[in-house]
Amino acid sequence: MNEHELIKLILQGERDKFRIFVEKYQQMVFRTCMGFVHNKEDADDLTQEVFIQAYQSLPDFKMKSAFSTWLYRIAVNASLNKVRKSAGTSFIQRLESFFGAENSKTSQLTASDTDDPENIIIKKEHSQWLQKALDSLPENQRTAIVLSKYDDLSQKEIAEIMKTTEGAVEALLQRAKMNLREKLSGGRIINHN
Amino acid sequence: MNCQLCQENLDAYREGRLPAGMMTQVESHLKTCDSCKRLSEIQILAGRVISVEKETDVDPFLVTRVMAQIERLDTESFENIPLVARILRPALITLSLSVAVLFGIMLGNLSRPAGNTGKIPLELALINDASLESVDILSLE
Repeated sequence: MNEHELIKLILQGERDKFRIFVEKYQQMVFRTCMGFVHNKEDADDLTQEVFIQAYQSLPDFKMKSAFSTWLYRIAVNASLNKVRKSAGTSFIQRLESFFGAENSKTSQLTASDTDDPENIIIKKEHSQWLQKALDSLPENQRTAIVLSKYDDLSQKEIAEIMKTTEGAVEALLQRAKMNLREKLSGGRIINHN
Repeated sequence: MNCQLCQENLDAYREGRLPAGMMTQVESHLKTCDSCKRLSEIQILAGRVISVEKETDVDPFLVTRVMAQIERLDTESFENIPLVARILRPALITLSLSVAVLFGIMLGNLSRPAGNTGKIPLELALINDASLESVDILSLE
């Protein structure tokens, strides 16, 4: 049974079939959300919100594109809305959560530095600085970078999600990388051991 | 190689996508240029931050949470229908079904053949089959 047939069944009242979509796409949506919010708890909540929104908007899905493309659009829009809303929230607060002791995954980033607290602090500072640079990109550049780097999508796929041309996506990615280079090479020195 | 060219090719260099000659040029430039080396290190760190975020797993109970919320939403949307509509709608449906069934029966009666009145034909009434197969014969067996 293909996805469009599944959607028809859901629209006819077989609500539980939506579970198949959630199971299949949860990690994909979560990864996209992580690219925008950089925080597991926020990304979890956002992923849930995306699926609820998708379920409620299912009657509006025209089936002209793949379900995943449509879901990516919802995820990107929801993430951008979340980022806009939390623009007032301190970036440091979000990174404190990212580097929180309870976040076991994040500890992998500094696993090699566990014997050197000073180095850990330096790396945390630089990671904060890096994420600040990512967050300061214009929305369309940031979307293109997240879909490219976090979701490993091709320029063609990104173009379809962003409803633009491949050439425009290529230009966006170039500008995003250039902006990131400028922001990141702003004068601080990374000291890797 | 100048800094601009080196920096433009850093991504491809790290991913090993450059031709052999270009790889060597970038590599030797990085050994001599501190700013490009610093940028390369920043990009490596950026890659590590991204891969840590990418490898983070979604909440294992997300599916359950989403399905529960969907169910709640559907229930709420049903409860949001006014009480009168909730009672009136099924009542109207039942009434219209009953009317349709009655109408069907009436229509069926109208279309029955005129001669078929339900009475036993006269010829059959005259035949007395009780004598042909008496009850006594059966009871004797």
